[in-house]
Amino acid sequence: MWIRQTVICASVIVLAVMLQLTLLSRLGLPGATPDLVVVCVVALALAYGPITGAVVGFAAGLILGFTPPAGGVIGIQALIFLVIGFLTGAVIDPRDRTVPVLMGLVGLSTGAATLAYALLIAGFGGKEVAWDAVPALVLTSSLYGLILAPVVVPTISWLVRRVTPEIAI
Amino acid sequence: MLNRETQVMLNQRTRIILALLVIIALTFTILDLRGGKGPFSSVRSVVSSAFGGVQVAASVIVSPITGVGSWWGTWGDQRARIAELESENATLQDALVRSAEDRARADALDQLLRVAGVGRYRIVPAEVIAVEPAQDFSWTVTIDAGRDDGLLTDMTVINGQGLIGRILSTTKTTATVVLIVDASSAVGARVAGTEEIGILSGTGRQDSLEFQTLDPLASLKPGQALVTFGSRSGRPYAPGIPIGEVAEVSGTAGQLSRIATVRPFADVSQLSIVGVVIRPPREDPRDSVLPSPPATTSDASALASPSPSGVDDGASPAPTASTKPKKEKAAKPVPSPTPSAGTAASGESN
Repeated sequence: MWIRQTVICASVIVLAVMLQLTLLSRLGLPGATPDLVVVCVVALALAYGPITGAVVGFAAGLILGFTPPAGGVIGIQALIFLVIGFLTGAVIDPRDRTVPVLMGLVGLSTGAATLAYALLIAGFGGKEVAWDAVPALVLTSSLYGLILAPVVVPTISWLVRRVTPEIAI
Repeated sequence: MLNRETQVMLNQRTRIILALLVIIALTFTILDLRGGKGPFSSVRSVVSSAFGGVQVAASVIVSPITGVGSWWGTWGDQRARIAELESENATLQDALVRSAEDRARADALDQLLRVAGVGRYRIVPAEVIAVEPAQDFSWTVTIDAGRDDGLLTDMTVINGQGLIGRILSTTKTTATVVLIVDASSAVGARVAGTEEIGILSGTGRQDSLEFQTLDPLASLKPGQALVTFGSRSGRPYAPGIPIGEVAEVSGTAGQLSRIATVRPFADVSQLSIVGVVIRPPREDPRDSVLPSPPATTSDASALASPSPSGVDDGASPAPTASTKPKKEKAAKPVPSPTPSAGTAASGESN
């Protein structure tokens, strides 16, 4: 049970990281890159609850920090994703999971992740932040989250119910 | 359901896990921020080599999709760029049209100045602002210089090609010019290179004049150029101004007079910039103003379109700046060849 849960979380995150870094970031869409990793973290947190969400977010943030093109400060994304995973897992009652609520939650998460990263990296003094670009980045990031949510979240929850039916909420 | 209860039960454990994760994340952050190679460079290189291969493969797989990216990404930029280029294009086209116009006007002025310079005429440049309709059978135009610019009736009007006409009447700011092709016009003319003189009359047709020599035995050949020989004090016509060339000679030597058809150098239907001779030269320029040898250059094409753009004040100070427009009294009497011919010309022209 634990092994299957770990395997599914790990493979979803690794796949998301790979897709985000090799495909989505190179599409050159206007504004931010669609934050598939955050969407997957939220989806897993919704499926497995806040603790797993937090751990998955933490791991995903670390992987993103270590994977090659990443030039940011290792740990910041882990911190942000951790909080997002925990909150999204805890906030939503399983009974009111309607599509608009899920989309809103994911959109909020991706936007918040972008904003939080800008704030934290500026706060830690790791990098110069182009503040005039931040509003557009946050908005587009939210928008892409909204768009990705109705595809990614149901897919992952279907996968989770399929592989680990006894844990899924 | 069960999960929720479990979590509430495990509240303590939850907090411990969260705190642990946050502390680890912050530790990583701080360690990484210490800069230098740090403890993570080796981890990074390991992950890099592990993920590198996967990334290469993934990138090969997704490359057809990412190819679209260049279109996507620059879409917004391109729209702005297109708008920018369109406005720039409009500006340049506008500038091109205007520069062509300006060049034509500059060419016309240049030619006028050449004539004025070679012949030492003191001129006031002006622009044709109105033209008598052709169906009125009267070849007169209005120019945008008048008494205020020193213009008087009977002054000579020229352009870069040659003689245009004389001033019929003036107002403060405009003047009416009767063109040499007008049927009422008559100019005292001399055949260039000779001393043959005669009267050149307008016919009312824009491309032909009639020249009648005073000496019935004079020999005229097609191609010979005619210049004004001028009146006393340069009015109505200043001396030495090219008029046209003989196109055809009718009648034979020995007749009472011989009539030649003359084609004027200036295309009177294409007038834009003209000059009014306000003071003739001290000495007759003789034939020097004539354009060099085959002088039949119908340079009308170099002129701007006949539509008078009245915006520009033709009486710009450029050519006359050096001079104060003095009255003809200041000028020495013109050494006109034969006084009788001069008076004849001026008499005829009225």
